[in-house]
Amino acid sequence: MNTPPAFSVLVCLRLLLAVLPLPGQNLLKHDHQLSSPLTSYLRLNEGLWLLDNNIDPYVGGAFHHSPLLLSLFSTIVPPLPIVWAVSDAVGTWALLRIWRARQGLSSQKGTRFDVENLIVSVYLLNPYLLLPSLALSTSTFENTLTLLALMFASEGKVSSALLAIAFAVHLTPSSILLLLPILMLLVSSPVSHLASPRPFYGSLKRIPLLFGEFTLYWLVLVGAACIIAGGSWNWVGASWGASLTLPDLTPNPGLWWYFFTEMFDHFRPFFLMVFSVHLIIYILPICIKFQHDPLYAAFLLVGVLGTFKAYLTLADPGLFLSMISIFPEVHGYLRHPIITTLLHLHAALLLPLQHVLWVSEGRGNANFYYAASLVMGMAGGAGLVDACWAGMRIAVGDAKAWAEEKVDGEKGKVVWWEVVQQ
Amino acid sequence: MDSVAFANTGSGFKDPRNLSFERDWIRRAVLASYWIVIILALPFWWHLTSIERLALPTSQVRSQVQSNIVFPIAVQFDASISQQNPSLNSQVQTLLRDSMINEPGRWRGIDLRLQDRNDEVASSLYTVALGEQTSITHSRHLWVSKTDAQSATRLSYILSDLIAPPESSTSHSQRVVQYSDHYRLAFTLLNEDATPNRFVETWDVQTALAEFIFPLTSRLSILHNFTVESQVQYHAPLAFEPKRLTLGDTEASGLTQEDLTVFINSAEWTLASSVSNDPVLHFVLFAPSETHSPMNIVDSEGRPTNQSSFLLPQWGSIFILNNELNSSSLHLSYNDLKPVFRNFAAQLAALLGVPPVPLGLSMEGSFLSDWQLDALLRRRALQNVQGSQDTLHSIVKLVDQINNMPVGQVVRDDVLDALASLHEAYRTAVASPALALRWSSKALSMASRAFFNPGMLALLYFPAEHKYAVYTPLFASISVPLVVALIRDFIAWRRGSQDDRRR
Amino acid sequence: MRRTPVWIFLACLCTPSFALYPGEIYREDLRIQPLRDGRVSTTFSFVTVLEGAVPRNPMALGQVDESQHYALFPLTLGQILREHAITELHLTLNAGRWNYDNWGHPHEAGVGTGAELWAWMGASEITTVDERWSGLRNALSGLFCASLGSLDSRRTLSPTVAFPLSGSTPTFAPHELRHASLPSENVCTENLTPFLKLLPCKSHAGLASLLNPQKVFDADWHGMGIHVIWKEDTGVELKLTLQAVFNPVRTSTGKRRDWNLQLLFDRSIERSCPVASSSSITVILPEEKDYQIIPEYPAHVDGLAIYDLSSSSNFTIPSNIAMSWPSEHSFQYPLPPLTPVTPISVKRTIHGTTQTRGILSVSVTNNSPQEISAGYLEMVPALLTLWMHTLKVEINSQIRSDLLSGLKYHPPSPQSNDRLSPLDVASCPHNSTKDHARNFHRGQQSFSEIHRTSTRCDERLGSTRGRVFPAPSIVSRYPSEL
Repeated sequence: MNTPPAFSVLVCLRLLLAVLPLPGQNLLKHDHQLSSPLTSYLRLNEGLWLLDNNIDPYVGGAFHHSPLLLSLFSTIVPPLPIVWAVSDAVGTWALLRIWRARQGLSSQKGTRFDVENLIVSVYLLNPYLLLPSLALSTSTFENTLTLLALMFASEGKVSSALLAIAFAVHLTPSSILLLLPILMLLVSSPVSHLASPRPFYGSLKRIPLLFGEFTLYWLVLVGAACIIAGGSWNWVGASWGASLTLPDLTPNPGLWWYFFTEMFDHFRPFFLMVFSVHLIIYILPICIKFQHDPLYAAFLLVGVLGTFKAYLTLADPGLFLSMISIFPEVHGYLRHPIITTLLHLHAALLLPLQHVLWVSEGRGNANFYYAASLVMGMAGGAGLVDACWAGMRIAVGDAKAWAEEKVDGEKGKVVWWEVVQQ
Repeated sequence: MDSVAFANTGSGFKDPRNLSFERDWIRRAVLASYWIVIILALPFWWHLTSIERLALPTSQVRSQVQSNIVFPIAVQFDASISQQNPSLNSQVQTLLRDSMINEPGRWRGIDLRLQDRNDEVASSLYTVALGEQTSITHSRHLWVSKTDAQSATRLSYILSDLIAPPESSTSHSQRVVQYSDHYRLAFTLLNEDATPNRFVETWDVQTALAEFIFPLTSRLSILHNFTVESQVQYHAPLAFEPKRLTLGDTEASGLTQEDLTVFINSAEWTLASSVSNDPVLHFVLFAPSETHSPMNIVDSEGRPTNQSSFLLPQWGSIFILNNELNSSSLHLSYNDLKPVFRNFAAQLAALLGVPPVPLGLSMEGSFLSDWQLDALLRRRALQNVQGSQDTLHSIVKLVDQINNMPVGQVVRDDVLDALASLHEAYRTAVASPALALRWSSKALSMASRAFFNPGMLALLYFPAEHKYAVYTPLFASISVPLVVALIRDFIAWRRGSQDDRRR
Repeated sequence: MRRTPVWIFLACLCTPSFALYPGEIYREDLRIQPLRDGRVSTTFSFVTVLEGAVPRNPMALGQVDESQHYALFPLTLGQILREHAITELHLTLNAGRWNYDNWGHPHEAGVGTGAELWAWMGASEITTVDERWSGLRNALSGLFCASLGSLDSRRTLSPTVAFPLSGSTPTFAPHELRHASLPSENVCTENLTPFLKLLPCKSHAGLASLLNPQKVFDADWHGMGIHVIWKEDTGVELKLTLQAVFNPVRTSTGKRRDWNLQLLFDRSIERSCPVASSSSITVILPEEKDYQIIPEYPAHVDGLAIYDLSSSSNFTIPSNIAMSWPSEHSFQYPLPPLTPVTPISVKRTIHGTTQTRGILSVSVTNNSPQEISAGYLEMVPALLTLWMHTLKVEINSQIRSDLLSGLKYHPPSPQSNDRLSPLDVASCPHNSTKDHARNFHRGQQSFSEIHRTSTRCDERLGSTRGRVFPAPSIVSRYPSEL
């Protein structure tokens, strides 16, 4: 496959970064913005140590990673930075392939190197993605798996796509949001139909079959994990349960931790349910609305995850932001790109600042950081709403006069998002 | 807003209403998919926030509260009495009936029947027979002297005092400790200040206990279990300075009635506390220091009395040791302790509510008669039944009144247990007062355990307003846009169908 | 009916050294030791022995207990021991940090800061060990006005290697250990008053009359302990101890280290406790000979001055005991480097500036010429997660992982989620310093957890006040000649 020049240059640089000793990497590893308890490198190593010393790593609440990662790093490769660099390279390559599939280009005759250079740089140079990767957060693998699943789905490779999404769901259960658009993508095409919407034309009958295949892969992975974990089911509660029950309240840029820090115990289960249901409530509306372009629906759901997920790290909004680059057709229709950019800039500055003020300096308190994470949430929400809007606006045509005209169902959604941000 | 505008401008725009994703059914499907998820989540909401409130057996509690425990008692006149005074039986019966009508509280729970020799034998049978003098024995016999047998009034008084001892005297009811099936009896020898030439180091407490206390406690063992313990304290100062008295040529100190009420210096004395929930009865033998000896209790006019002990209601008793202590001895022998423990035994009986033997009646044997024991059993059982009925009633009322109060399985089981025990108490009262007491005591402890269950308090302080405060932000943000969208769609659909009809 | 024969009674009177009440013996003792840094360590110990007594068999918990009759033994404590069938009990309440390097080993072990409680109990089906443990905690916290009730299951461990039975092992039931500590517990007068009440003569007579709370709690270090031990051949022994390290250099005007009882306690012994079978003050004399002690000691045993205070001895109660260094104008602190008094010294420090993470480093120094192998036990509240994979063992900045053996690590279990207990046995070569360092992470607590775990409401989200670590324990395995 011929690749744009930026790809080889940047991948080489990324590999170099992994090999060279990096000052301050220890700081990055401990940073709460870059890795959550579910993805932290330290915890991964702790789990490996516990496994070495014949202690069940899932007892004690220090370890939340999947047994698959545990066995990968304990038997196949040691957790070296190079693995993360390779994962980043694979992710970039997958993004590139998705772009080509969407443009209807075969992988052999890549012509528009200028755009592809941009896509590659936007992925590899995105600080939201690069820093977590340098911090050796396992969210890098989750992002790569998500992109691989989308890539295989775009190229119509059914089994590979389903296996990739099964892996992603196994690592982070909230990736289940992407399952429906991927299934839709497998039975239709990734080519952009945003400007010419049409009813869903793929064969719906295949979807249950595909879903069955996904379930099969997923069950195989669960079985493998159980065998690795020595036949016990402890890991289910410790790894999957963590994103549902939020046992560790380490601060992160997401919206969950502060809410549940201040919660009365009596209401905790109820609000855990509300927050989890809130995530899945978006699947159907987005997939119905964007049935003409399931790839775009998947992109929007990535945005939902990057805003409302439990144990959010910067890698989650980072994936959404980098994926914008493969939808150049909507760029002209974004209504407030400047505001979204400014919000992200604001959040990117405020988050580390308030974190240092509170945690290291001890001069602030939790509310400082919470305020910054609210800005982050607003930035994520603004980007998502705008992407939604642009994806529908493009269908109307090239003008500004009808910008105010909005559609009922969408208005409800927008209002809701805005309220949620508050 | 109308399609004409689109047609007129005619540029590259499309009418939004003609777009595939703007069709009515898609819009409705989007709206419906939100509502479906919300509706599916409703049972979770119900399950996760509901308070566990199991139904209490309210009607059973109401009916049990109405019913009452009844002990049937039969008194039989021996032929010797009937022969001497044939009308005595009916006269006594009339007098006792009058007493029952006049004092219903005293006779509550007692179903008394007088019968002649030829009647069939009841379970709880007391016999009245002619004897040398008026006296009672351990077995349920009353011997009546010839003179007393002449007077129906005298006999009815004796009988009513024996069967239903009056509890009207307020001092009596306040003095008696609350019922518990286990008491700790703590005997303490207190030296006010141990100086090498005057203090009591040891006492023959075990011998004295064996002689005076254990016979009493073993008689009472069908009512209560006892744990007996003793200790010696060498420095137990008084919290106040006793009054100086001059009695002829000797000096003494006096305790006034006010002093007696503050005699216990709980800050300085380490009296036995209870490690469990069982009540403790204290018996204190107080040896005054050299400077305060001898120590007398004085009456209201300041004259010393010859009493050396006093009783603190529901707490225990105190004996002040004066003459018994000769300065050379550091040890109190059994003989020294005799008057002390005789007194303690009497005080213990009084604290536990053992009814006194009626005046003018002598008793064979020195400890409790069956008459007294039965009366005590009946009264304690009655009190327990009333206590548990009140507690059960309060639980039901409380749960009725406070909707937020969780009622868990434990509480419910305790209430059911208490009800069952009450029922058993009613049932066994006919045959055996001792068994009835045991059941009533169980009912009381179950009822109070249910009443004080900590789980019932968990959400008492979450008022409804608090709940609204928690839910409102959530509901306002979710429901308002969705409901508005739903209404708007409904109106649009109505208008559409009207248009169709007009056409 | 049994009557005490008169002749036994007379015999008791004639032998004053033997306690009058057969079966119970009470003796008291005070050790005073001038320390090399000018401080004075005082150790009171009050021992009551219940001869021939046996701890309650937990199998008989369901039945009514036998009667308890005590003359000298405190009934309030006896009740607790019987009610919960405790075989062995240790409770210490200390304030301050014991300076092992300068003060050496304490006369009474158990000098960890705060409250520490451990008990050995026989297992029984009637009431489980954990139920009785909780009952014991509540009873003791009522007795000593200490917040021992908060030593709940989340702080409870069973480290049997570090806290073995000190007395005999009863045969009636398999025994279990429960241990918990509360380092943030403050020790003050409200704990001393109930402590004194457990003594037969309280603070009215005997050595305990010296215990002036104002002076004791002004001392540089102070602590009290309650130890109940069962020994098969003697019976149940209750030992109440109180240790205080005074600093006469600080309190005196001329910066002199001279001390006397009146100066230290601001009290004097007016009369002896009549029921004490022995009562003595022992002064451990320093090695250098330039001191002077008044009154001249009557008994001189191997560097000790012993004053017998018991009522039976013909020695009158000295109104004061004073020690002075007449040749010394003012006390000069010994200059560092000082060789530590103990064979092993351990320093535990936390490095790091942020509130979420840091490094816990334990440095063990072997001061003796031999190689020493020692066990180290540490309990960490589960709020702190130790990253065990970052454990490093270094000697002179060289990594020597081989020196650590038998590392045991118990992650917090779901039932009791507030603890971790790594136990490692490490050998330490002679005259060297070994560092263990581990990173840790301080978790974020939810609102309700904060209320559950903090004894006082001083720890809010993100407040700067840290959590106090419980004291670690060292189990030394000295070579026999040490």
